[in-house]
Amino acid sequence: MSDAALPRRAAGRVADETPLAKTLAIAVSLVFLGVFFLAPLVVVIAEALAKGLAGFVDAILEPDALAAIALTFTIAAIVVPLNAAFGLAAAWAIAKFDFAGKNLLTTLIDLPFSVSPVVSGLVFVLLFGAQGWFGDWLAAHHIKIVFAMPGIALATLFVTFPFVARELIPLMQSQGTAEEEAALTLGASGWKTFLTVTLPNVKWALLTGVLLCNARAMGEFGAVSVVSGHIRGVTNTIPLQVEILYNEYSIAAAFSLASLLALLALVTLGVKYAVEARAGARAG
Amino acid sequence: MSRLAVWRRPSPLPGFGLAMGVTLAYLALVVLIPLSALVIRASGLGAAKIAAIALDARVLAALRVTFGVAFAAAAIDVLFGLLIAWVLTRYRFPGRRFFDALVDLPFALPTAVAGISLATLYAPNGVFGAALARIGVRVAFTPWGILVALIFVGLPFVVRTVQPIIEELERELEEASATLGASRLQTLRRVALPQIAPALLTGMALAFARGVGEYGSVIFIAGNIAYVSEIAPLLIIVKLEEYDYDGATAIAAIMLAVSFAMLFVINATQSWSRRRLGLV
Amino acid sequence: MPAPARVEAPARYYGQPRTISIEGVSKSFGEGAVLDAINLEIEPGELLALLGPSGSGKTTLLRLIAGLETADKGAVRFDGEDASDFTVQQRRVGFVFQSYALFRHMSVAANIAYGLTVRPRRSRPLREVIAGRVAELMVMMQLGGLERRYPSELSGGQRQRVALARALAIEPRVLLLDEPFGALDAKVRKDLRKWLREIHDRTGLTTVFVTHDQAEAMEIADRVAILNGGRIEQIGRPAEVRATPASAFVADFLD
Repeated sequence: MSDAALPRRAAGRVADETPLAKTLAIAVSLVFLGVFFLAPLVVVIAEALAKGLAGFVDAILEPDALAAIALTFTIAAIVVPLNAAFGLAAAWAIAKFDFAGKNLLTTLIDLPFSVSPVVSGLVFVLLFGAQGWFGDWLAAHHIKIVFAMPGIALATLFVTFPFVARELIPLMQSQGTAEEEAALTLGASGWKTFLTVTLPNVKWALLTGVLLCNARAMGEFGAVSVVSGHIRGVTNTIPLQVEILYNEYSIAAAFSLASLLALLALVTLGVKYAVEARAGARAG
Repeated sequence: MSRLAVWRRPSPLPGFGLAMGVTLAYLALVVLIPLSALVIRASGLGAAKIAAIALDARVLAALRVTFGVAFAAAAIDVLFGLLIAWVLTRYRFPGRRFFDALVDLPFALPTAVAGISLATLYAPNGVFGAALARIGVRVAFTPWGILVALIFVGLPFVVRTVQPIIEELERELEEASATLGASRLQTLRRVALPQIAPALLTGMALAFARGVGEYGSVIFIAGNIAYVSEIAPLLIIVKLEEYDYDGATAIAAIMLAVSFAMLFVINATQSWSRRRLGLV
Repeated sequence: MPAPARVEAPARYYGQPRTISIEGVSKSFGEGAVLDAINLEIEPGELLALLGPSGSGKTTLLRLIAGLETADKGAVRFDGEDASDFTVQQRRVGFVFQSYALFRHMSVAANIAYGLTVRPRRSRPLREVIAGRVAELMVMMQLGGLERRYPSELSGGQRQRVALARALAIEPRVLLLDEPFGALDAKVRKDLRKWLREIHDRTGLTTVFVTHDQAEAMEIADRVAILNGGRIEQIGRPAEVRATPASAFVADFLD
């Protein structure tokens, strides 16, 4: 049987979809992503600028908005370093040592991921709210946790707990312990080894984890909703302020504030992508 | 040798005690103790009381909406997530990298921002809302709105779980199938899909778990009409505002139980697939 | 790579070579015993090869001497003192890992200088002194011109020499090498093994190296210890061991 008798396929592999099928698949995928993912992004930008650049700036500089921005940054400044320190400690213990119960520990660390944000906020109300475990004690000592900044910080701490650890643990596990052992034989103390050998090897993963933790800390809505009391100018974070503005039909103002967070999201994604591309290029 | 040596392998690296101490203390303080407050309070209520609360008409409706729509969204995410993961991994086209990065958007975008964007898009006077109204479909303020929001939120879980598996698929298996006479569709169905299936299940479970707990993306578009489009997390907040701590606790306990169950399911499917195929 | 030139190493570098005694050392990981009642006297200044198939426990023994593992039973002594009184850092052991374990984010020069830069302020040499030592070692190891390169940019043979230079920089009392030529091709192995012998002769350090390649061990070692299943089957000079193998295993392994 001569070659001419066999059906000719387009240049490419024997086992592959037809060009038509591929085009269709790509089209459907892009339309889906366009509708569900791209459109919301475009809306944020469009609505934020609905009243022009001047309107945008006014919305940001409005006192309640500034207070919300300040509170959001304060919370992030508290939460991110704490969770980063925890993430490093947990990753050191889990990745460089062998012990029983490692799986259980990793699962426990992942717990906040699988709990609904509203439930996350609720548990702190149950602990520190007026009818909570410590409610009476706190009232007696005039300490406000719920409906005040500490409560928001705690709820945010809970929700963003796993982010840094999750970035660090797999990487440190795959890097092994050889370099640390070498540093020890060369006379470095434990801390010196950690600072000069371990940390530099995970710096990009640490950055990604910190950025993700930060993005979530600044953007957390459900948990903070429960815990904050929505007191204008005092206990509103940016997302809560966005909600208030939206519900009052100050749409442009709401989106102006929201666009700040959207921009943060894009920067976070951009860095994450750049780091992964770098790591892929190095390994591949 | 200290007592520790019994349950861990001794290592020349120092700092285990300190690192573990910090880890466990922080974990207990931030996660375990707060969660236990819920568990203890819920067990204080007793199973009977929780069931009674759960069977209240409004609560039942909220649970049905929450779990039902989350499941539907997860199913749709599986369908399109698989397609998108395949397209992003196997094909080359301009803008592929951009769309690949775009898939992560729900991970980084705050839920409230997503919420108001989707609400604006699908509101009766919104870009999509108006177009859909012309064919008689109302999305905003109905469970369909919730569905749209949860599809958005859950998609990356499916795509990111499945993508590594697709990358690792051996082309030679597909080529062998072709040489044995199978059509492309048959090959995809009988050779590729079974390898992807466990990851697909895991991704679906993750999307479902996320959808069940979702709040910010949903409440703006849903309309939050009791018995119709009110989700369980919102009902918890409503109960709290009415100082019905018991009601809030009961619903939260149910959701927590479901979260744990899903965690278990996800771990189980992952170890099953690891054993079966050596993949995750 | 051209054949390594004659090695010049200033005698002042290296202190008194040490006696290492291993007395009744046993170690198990989980169920299997990896080392079973090992007794070994390593003479000061000798070049000893630990030879055996994989799983014979030779790497574990080496790590034990370094302090990277601890024995379940028995003791390791340096010049008579119990080594378990000393931490890994205090033992001043030069260890060359099988995978080299170079610090991937540091340049070659920084890698070699590392052991000197982590010393506490009081005992740390001046920057110029450190730089001088690094330069001398780089000449000795024929790494000229590679100061600013990173490990990922080096060949296997170059990495190995950097690892060795790094270990020598701290003026160790003992030099331990774990399958130093394992990952290199045959020609490079042959050249490097001769050159390792030269380094040993110049520095006079007590040197122990692990290998599964009997030709390598027999060619350069002063003595060879053959391990099998956690036990030493025979120790002796290469010629003796070859002429009078103590067991069928030894006879078999040496062919």
